[in-house]
Amino acid sequence: MNNSLTLLGLLGREPSYGYDLKHSYDRYFGIEKALAFGQVYATLARMVRDELIRAVGEETGGGPDRKKYEITATGQDKVRSWLFTPDTPSETLQSDLFAKTVIALLLEDDADRLLDLQRAEHMARMRELTRAKKDAQLLQVLMCDHGLFHIEADLRWIDLTTARLTQLKKELQHA
Amino acid sequence: MNSVLLKLTITGSRSAYGRLAGIAAGVAVGVCMLLLLWGGANGLNARDDRGAWLRETGTPSATYPTPPSAAADPDIDPDTDPAATSEAPTPIPLTTDAVLMRSNPVEVFRDQLINRRDFAALDTTTVSIPGVGAPPAPGEYYASPALQQLIDSTPRDELGDRYGTFAGTIDDSALPGPDSLVIVTGAPEAEIRNSGLNFLVTGFTTDPYGGNAATYTTVLSIGAIAVFFPVLLLISIVTGLGAAERRERFSTLRLIGASPRVVARIAAAETAIPSLIGAVAGVVLAVLLRPVAAQLPVNGTRMFISDLTTGWVAGLIVVTVVVAAAAVTAAYRTSRAGIGPLGVTQSAPETLPRTRRLLPLLGGLAALVLAALLSRTANDLSAQLQTPLLLGGFAFTLVGIIAAGPWLTLLVSRIGARRAHSAAAVIALTRIQRTPAATFRSVSGLVIAVFVVSVFAGASSVIETRPTPTATPGLPQPTSVTSTISTGTTTTDTTSMKDRLEQLPGIRHATIGYGAAAFTEIGAEREIYLRAEDAPSLGFTSIPTTDVVTLDMSFLDTWTTTPVPLLPTPTTTFDRFVPVVIMVDTDGTPGAVDRARTALNTSGITGTPGTTPTDLELQSSARLVQGLAVLAYLGMVIAVVIAGVSLAVGTASAILDRKKVLGLMRLMGMPTSTLRRIILQEAAVPLLTVLTLSIGLGFLVAWLMITGIDDSYTLTWPGTDYFIALVISLTLALAAVVATFGLIQRNTTPTTTRFA
Amino acid sequence: MNTTNTPILSARDLRHSFGPTDALRGIDLDVQAGEVLAVMGPSGSGKSTLLHCLAGVLTPDSGTVTYSPANQAPRDVGGLNEQERSRLRLTDFGFVFQFGQLLPELNALDNVSIPLLLAGIKRPEALRRSTVLLERLDLGSMSGKLPGELSGGQAQRVAVARALVTAPTVLFADEPTGSLDSLASENVLTLMLELVREAGTTVVMVTHDPRSAAYADREVIVRDGAISAGYRIPA
Repeated sequence: MNNSLTLLGLLGREPSYGYDLKHSYDRYFGIEKALAFGQVYATLARMVRDELIRAVGEETGGGPDRKKYEITATGQDKVRSWLFTPDTPSETLQSDLFAKTVIALLLEDDADRLLDLQRAEHMARMRELTRAKKDAQLLQVLMCDHGLFHIEADLRWIDLTTARLTQLKKELQHA
Repeated sequence: MNSVLLKLTITGSRSAYGRLAGIAAGVAVGVCMLLLLWGGANGLNARDDRGAWLRETGTPSATYPTPPSAAADPDIDPDTDPAATSEAPTPIPLTTDAVLMRSNPVEVFRDQLINRRDFAALDTTTVSIPGVGAPPAPGEYYASPALQQLIDSTPRDELGDRYGTFAGTIDDSALPGPDSLVIVTGAPEAEIRNSGLNFLVTGFTTDPYGGNAATYTTVLSIGAIAVFFPVLLLISIVTGLGAAERRERFSTLRLIGASPRVVARIAAAETAIPSLIGAVAGVVLAVLLRPVAAQLPVNGTRMFISDLTTGWVAGLIVVTVVVAAAAVTAAYRTSRAGIGPLGVTQSAPETLPRTRRLLPLLGGLAALVLAALLSRTANDLSAQLQTPLLLGGFAFTLVGIIAAGPWLTLLVSRIGARRAHSAAAVIALTRIQRTPAATFRSVSGLVIAVFVVSVFAGASSVIETRPTPTATPGLPQPTSVTSTISTGTTTTDTTSMKDRLEQLPGIRHATIGYGAAAFTEIGAEREIYLRAEDAPSLGFTSIPTTDVVTLDMSFLDTWTTTPVPLLPTPTTTFDRFVPVVIMVDTDGTPGAVDRARTALNTSGITGTPGTTPTDLELQSSARLVQGLAVLAYLGMVIAVVIAGVSLAVGTASAILDRKKVLGLMRLMGMPTSTLRRIILQEAAVPLLTVLTLSIGLGFLVAWLMITGIDDSYTLTWPGTDYFIALVISLTLALAAVVATFGLIQRNTTPTTTRFA
Repeated sequence: MNTTNTPILSARDLRHSFGPTDALRGIDLDVQAGEVLAVMGPSGSGKSTLLHCLAGVLTPDSGTVTYSPANQAPRDVGGLNEQERSRLRLTDFGFVFQFGQLLPELNALDNVSIPLLLAGIKRPEALRRSTVLLERLDLGSMSGKLPGELSGGQAQRVAVARALVTAPTVLFADEPTGSLDSLASENVLTLMLELVREAGTTVVMVTHDPRSAAYADREVIVRDGAISAGYRIPA
């Protein structure tokens, strides 16, 4: 899961302080492992450097925890392109897809489309594997099947998430 | 039983209610018919009991001296033995407890037989005539209401003049039915004694059958079996309605934990409830329809409505038996179906019928053949065996056709399936091949109906095909009325009689025949003498040239079939003779014939009433079978209607049970017309297979039964009625199948089929 | 697949409802000749209804389905009468369903030959062609068996044979492997697609199983009676 893009996405909702950002992140994604403050500030600094975000209304001129950040147009483009670029099916994919879906919902963007694009990507990979199975050695067939079943698991999660999007959106908005 | 489970099974979908309504309606019709038939059978018995007194034959009214030589040698025919003619009989005088009765065997009006009894009694007589009381005074009569109505509506010289003055009507308690034509007249003692057909009667018999009892009850029982069987078939078919759909429900019950016993009990209760409702409705229906049913003429007369009343005991028995049978059958069928928690295996093959299914049929036919053979060997044992053999054989043949049907259907479908070329034929014939019993069941009713119809058509053809007498020289003219002359009549009497007759309209000529003595006298001879000039009016074409000609008395016998020749005789006068017979030539109109009869019968000089050659048909002993032909047609109508209904029901369930597969076939692009052809062929193959057999067996059985009852009966081609009935049956079958086409359209719409 | 060709099946703004339920709410879909298309989507999404409309089983409430086979004038499937549609389904389309589609009384060979008989082919010829096809589907030894005596996969292959025996232009399959295990599914689909690709038959396959859909050239997702966002025809 891409932490910096997730933070950038969270910032896309409204300008916020680093401290609030960390807590938002923890609420949505940090159920198992919360984000360290240091990591948040380092990421924010990097994004300021890349002009994806900028600091607004520096009060008391103090440290990074007193700074409020907002997303730039470049940053917004970056988030959108992240959301709607399907990832190659891989075992570590799910957490990123999960983040993307939540961010899309938080940004009130088209989460359906995002999932469809990912599904298409998965299907394309499955077709590839299915074709590879044809006239292949049994060993290779088994390998392809292994891949197919994993991708299928992702797809099932995608299907289920798609079916629950409306409910999910409601919960996130009230959270 | 768990009432929740029961409720779950019975209530529910609209189709479930439809099924229950179907069962109730079918049972209602069945019970109604059973009760009406029961009433009819009771009514026939009651009718026969009431008419029993008409069978009274009395005792001889005179003592005949025993000729010594006749006693010594019984082979000597008293008619031709001169020794027998030596002495005249001595009349037995009337007493207060005996009346003199003349029973007129051929009192005919138009084509109806009138039961006429003439009585002469002392004023002090104590004999009471059923329905009348004291015998009427000479010149008076009591008539049944139907006859009195006939007398009133007919010119007196054709009918009323025969009887004298109306004294009253005969009570219903002495009449078989409301249409019975019975008359009781009073006559002077001398007139009755002279007629030669008189007996002394002290009381009236109550035995309705006399010697015919066995035949009568046999024919009646066969009729009853033939009519009851289709009714039972109907009840059996309706209680099996929608069985496939129900099995799914039952398997759900099994899944949620009901034991097979509980399911069987639910099936029983579920059938019993609508059956009970239907049975009670059937009783009500039977009461309402009784007046209508009474209008149906059976054996020549309609019924009294009270005759059809069965009483509440019979009603209770029918309701109880039908409901219990329906419930037990449902439980049995359900437990046999082997419904598991996961439903019945869809493709569970039907056990294919074996050849041994032919056994009941062969057994039944063997019994009938045996009965037919026994009737040719007259002894006590064979007479006792005959009735059970006939009844058993008939019942077994009926059951046997039902049992053998699936086997034959299988045989034909196997041959057909191999040769089939169209999709419809392949599908239909293969299905029949896999489920011959289920397929045959839907046509079984019609097959039985045709069988029953064929049996009755065969049986009634015995009479119907008797040729109508035609005018043949040497035999009595069909339009002639003949009467014998009684003892003591002079030539003057007969001449004035002849003159009176010849003045009546429609009467062309009257011929007096002379002989040695009146036919009832001991001195009577076979020759009848008459004037040659009279001969042409008797239909003779070849006439000897003498003044007087002679012919044998066999000319008068209705059973004579070879022409009797006119022979010349040297006699020129009738001085040594007395008039013995009068033969009246009419123009053949019914009025003229009845006028001739009336004139002859009231002349006071005739011994036997006026008869025509066609009268024989009315009193033939085979008439018993023919009279019941009406019952047969009733049975036929019931059987054919039920068969049509059951075929429609069977076809409909054949469609509904295969809704899904047929829907898929349509989705695949199978045209509805092909589906219709499938359904048509599934009905036609078993029907036509067994129909041919039914017709053949029907006539065979009719022939066996007829010859089993009396080996003098013969069988000929059936009348047009039969072919009409056959055509109606087949049309009805076609209509029943076509009526279900609407179901095909509605129930196999590809879109209503949930297949994913 | 040549996308510049006219699609063999083209649906525009298909709408259909069953009483108060809208099953299809404006579907646009093109199916190219020779393409194998998987129609996916959750239960009740309307994918079967879409298949029915495309195959001329159902007449949509509004919208058109144009069927344009090679060398023939395009036809509006919805505009044909019942008889013409039956004829079209018989001669140009083939159908495979999830289960229960074989006539239980007929053996495998007879089941396969029925569509040929319906099309007016003489029985000996129909049986010959059916035998050939059954052998292609590894069912040579099963031709005398009743459906009840076949395994699920074998029965499904018989159904495939029946659907393909008339050499249809388009094969419609509704959850063809829905009641089969993975291996049997694979077996059925491999054999089916081998035959289909060899003959250039277009396939529209409704399935909710991704592994079955992976045998297709592409898939569309139907959700709530519409093609899901990511699969729409670009405007």
